[in-house]
Amino acid sequence: MKSDPMKTEPMVPDTKATDTKATSTKATSTKALDTKADAATSAGRPPVFSVRDLWKVFGPKAGKVPADPELAALAPAELRERTGCTAAVRDVSFDVRKGEVFVVMGLSGSGKSTLVRCLTRLIEPTSGSIAIDGEDVLSMDTTRLRELRRHRASMVFQHFGLLPHRSVLDNVAYGLEIQGMGRAARRSRAAEVVAKVGLEGMEHRRPGQLSGGQQQRVGLARALAVDPEVLLFDEPFSALDPLIRRDMQEEVVRLHREEGRTMVFITHDLSEALKLGDRIALMRDGRIVQLGTPEEIVGAPADDYVRDFVRDVPREQVMTVRTAMRPADGDEGEGGPALAPEATVFEAIEAVARTGLTARVVEDGRCLGVVGHADLLGVVAGTTAPKGVAA
Amino acid sequence: MTAAVSAPAAEKKNITGPSFRDVLRHPVKGKLLALAALAVVLVPAGVTLWGSGSWPGALHVDISGPLDDANRWVIDNRDSHPLFLYFLLHLSNTATDAVGGVYDLLRSMGWLGVLAVGVLVAWRAAGLGRGGAKVAATAFGAFALCGLLGMWDATLLTIALMIVAVALAALLGVLIGLAAGLSDRINRALRPVLDTMQVLPAFAYLLPFVLVFGTGTPAALFCTVIYAAPPMARLTALGLRGADPSVLEASASLGASPWQRLRTARLPLARQQMLLGLNQTIMMALSMVVIAALVGAGGLGEEVYSALSTVDVGKALTAGIPIVLIAIWLDRTTAAAGDRIGRGVPGGGLLHGRSGWALVAAGVAVAVSARFLIGGAWPEAWTFDISTPVNKAQSWITEHLSSGVPVLGGTEVWSEQFTVWVLNPLRDGLLWLPWWSVLLIVAALAWLVGTWATALTATLAMSAIGVLGVWTKSLNTLSQVLAALVVTLVLGVLAGVVCARAGRLERWLRPVLDAMQTMPQFVYLIPVVALFGVTRASAIIAAVVYALPAVVRITAQGLREVDPAAMEAARSLGASTRQQLFQVQLPLARPALQLAVNQGVVLVLAVVVVGALVGGGALGYDVVKGLSRGEMGLGMTAGLAIVCLGLVLDRVTQPTARKRP
Repeated sequence: MKSDPMKTEPMVPDTKATDTKATSTKATSTKALDTKADAATSAGRPPVFSVRDLWKVFGPKAGKVPADPELAALAPAELRERTGCTAAVRDVSFDVRKGEVFVVMGLSGSGKSTLVRCLTRLIEPTSGSIAIDGEDVLSMDTTRLRELRRHRASMVFQHFGLLPHRSVLDNVAYGLEIQGMGRAARRSRAAEVVAKVGLEGMEHRRPGQLSGGQQQRVGLARALAVDPEVLLFDEPFSALDPLIRRDMQEEVVRLHREEGRTMVFITHDLSEALKLGDRIALMRDGRIVQLGTPEEIVGAPADDYVRDFVRDVPREQVMTVRTAMRPADGDEGEGGPALAPEATVFEAIEAVARTGLTARVVEDGRCLGVVGHADLLGVVAGTTAPKGVAA
Repeated sequence: MTAAVSAPAAEKKNITGPSFRDVLRHPVKGKLLALAALAVVLVPAGVTLWGSGSWPGALHVDISGPLDDANRWVIDNRDSHPLFLYFLLHLSNTATDAVGGVYDLLRSMGWLGVLAVGVLVAWRAAGLGRGGAKVAATAFGAFALCGLLGMWDATLLTIALMIVAVALAALLGVLIGLAAGLSDRINRALRPVLDTMQVLPAFAYLLPFVLVFGTGTPAALFCTVIYAAPPMARLTALGLRGADPSVLEASASLGASPWQRLRTARLPLARQQMLLGLNQTIMMALSMVVIAALVGAGGLGEEVYSALSTVDVGKALTAGIPIVLIAIWLDRTTAAAGDRIGRGVPGGGLLHGRSGWALVAAGVAVAVSARFLIGGAWPEAWTFDISTPVNKAQSWITEHLSSGVPVLGGTEVWSEQFTVWVLNPLRDGLLWLPWWSVLLIVAALAWLVGTWATALTATLAMSAIGVLGVWTKSLNTLSQVLAALVVTLVLGVLAGVVCARAGRLERWLRPVLDAMQTMPQFVYLIPVVALFGVTRASAIIAAVVYALPAVVRITAQGLREVDPAAMEAARSLGASTRQQLFQVQLPLARPALQLAVNQGVVLVLAVVVVGALVGGGALGYDVVKGLSRGEMGLGMTAGLAIVCLGLVLDRVTQPTARKRP
């Protein structure tokens, strides 16, 4: 099961009769992403993590569930009744591209924490395949796996997982110590990272003497200290107060801007997902129900569950003018304020309200289209579907 | 199919209220019903088949003969058999040499050197500063008083035995604890063994070691090690298993190997539990080292033992006080070290880390070199004798308080009344019960509080007592345990309730209870003999006093830890103090109360058996007689019966919480 050969089919998961609608929408949204991403983000770059048909089933004889199509199609409650097993991750496929922030979002029990632990085999997957930079993770032996955990992917935990008997500095240096780095070298490296996350002057405190936010900065610094290729975050800010949570989110945004490191971010907080994610995978009962950019998730929910989920999101702050614009009509392309296609509708509303004119969407000096009062109001009211999906 | 049938049945049940089936499903009511049905069948059957009275002679197997033979064989072959020549004799010689070596080392350090070590190590272990100074002062006072009472040499011998025994017990405990902490299978196998070892009275451990090693230091040392190792093993395993899973996961996510994880995360996280284990191991070792005087351990225990056997209260007290002082010194030092690690706050300053220990070493070196100036032995002039005034006081007590006090009666009168009106009827009542009904009662009780496996263990252990041929004596001991237990529980639970409600009283009582819990069982016999003379009642009073602190503490703690939200809800509904206590606190604290009963039984049994030295009689007396006259068969039989009785009592009172599915 571990030596499953790498599969190279497209990432659309095997569909079951029950959610054909959801999957077909997903397929289109993926297409939309590709057309859009050419211009904008990280598509085209090779995937760091490539996950295919991943299953994690807990319970007796767990291996039988993914193998048997009848069992695999069962609803969670039925499956538990029939086999005593719980499927935490069901038939999940996705790619994490280099340099992007990939958010896995879902309510508690949706399997997102199990999923992230499967990536470095902190939890052993039941079936499927995972590859990091093209290398099969499930077939790695102990040494190779340890190497992966030590150098390539490190994790930030919800409950920090700090060693209470060590100082901040030694906690940050812990990963380096495990790699076998000498005391002086690892301490000086740790001191740099401690400064980077804004904990200067607290190097010699114990975790117990720090606030929750500061403890999570230590957790973040510990993960950063080993200079990993990917950072994995497991609901890192759920245990923090709202204000501190916002600070920490901005810290992550800043780090990502500065270093461009690939991140996989688990959260149950939709606004956090929308704020941080380049792409979001929305999970329910172990399945990914929709995968797309924040704009796609908010603008074109794949099913009623997602629609319900994003209902209260302030759409004008997520949708961009690229979605809201229409072709210029007559001389509309001449005057009016110019906006980048990535500008949010919120920014466009401000510009349009200030000038009283229709705004132009300009990229590389070329006018792609225009947005006027009616277009912008349409987005806020939710009557305009994103063009990529509508097309 | 079955689901379809049972679903309507379940619905119907809900409508019609509790049915017969519900009663059967209820954990306690169902069992009671089944028991009643069984009793209707079994009691008449028992009466007709076996009649009444004591254990039938036909079901009796005498093991004292073979044991005596084994003992004789050991004595005859000790110098020739290869088992001894190549194994046991080496063990025994090493033990003697080790204890002797440590004792010589302590003596050669001189009294000032030993004093300096005790004080400075206490100071350093407690983390210097003000807290450290307090612990150091305790250590100084303890050592100085030992010297002043003229017990310096005996104290040194006891400490030497303690050092070797604790080092071995801690090592053994850590090894077992590591194995049990890291392997689930070993843990499952060891848990019941360690649990059982912790409930057995110290007395029961002595004889097997005497059988193998003869009386003397080796037997005393090894039985101390075996007796004292379980808490270290248990708490090490507990600490390793209880490590914060998020820390272990973080460690694994960084790619730590199992060995790295153990060294950097698991062991450091278990440090506080392990120190608690060390503290308990030390206290148990002290308790055993003192009792091991009966098998020739020497030292302070020997002094108490010989004084008790001649009822010389003054001399017993002179040796008993140093035991108490050593107990307090050791307890405070290790507890302070545990607290310091538990706080986990690094201290700043020059004296921390290695430099602190260097200072300790320097201080000790200076003190040791001082012996060339002031001599090694405690100065003769600095001792004074308290035994004469104590004995005078004691004879005054005997004359004025023991009897003839108007209205109140007097201590000896009380103990006599207690014996006549409580102990004798209880014992006679137990003896009057047909033997098979005792077994049935034991089985029923054990089944009620536990599972059928509990009942089976308890019944088998009780039958073993009968088979060993000490039924009458065991029931005599049992009657003493039950009497002491009832008194302990009534007093202890009352005091616990009062303590839990009155915070100030609790704060004031706490250090007293702590000190009482750390003292070895032996010490409690001394004041009891002074006040009540040598009777069965004295042993029971000592047992009550010994077990009381634990019961009070567990009860008070259990009541105080009741969910504050539940208490607040009760108050907000206008419940009176009484209603709060009986409807909220006591029901919610039931697990704690069960634990208090279990602990009470275990502690009471331990002292009731040791109480043989002050007139307790029964099983304990056989052990003492077996030891002092070398009658292995008699002693071992009694020892085995004590083990069985301990098992029965523990199983019958075992808290059930952890056994419920």
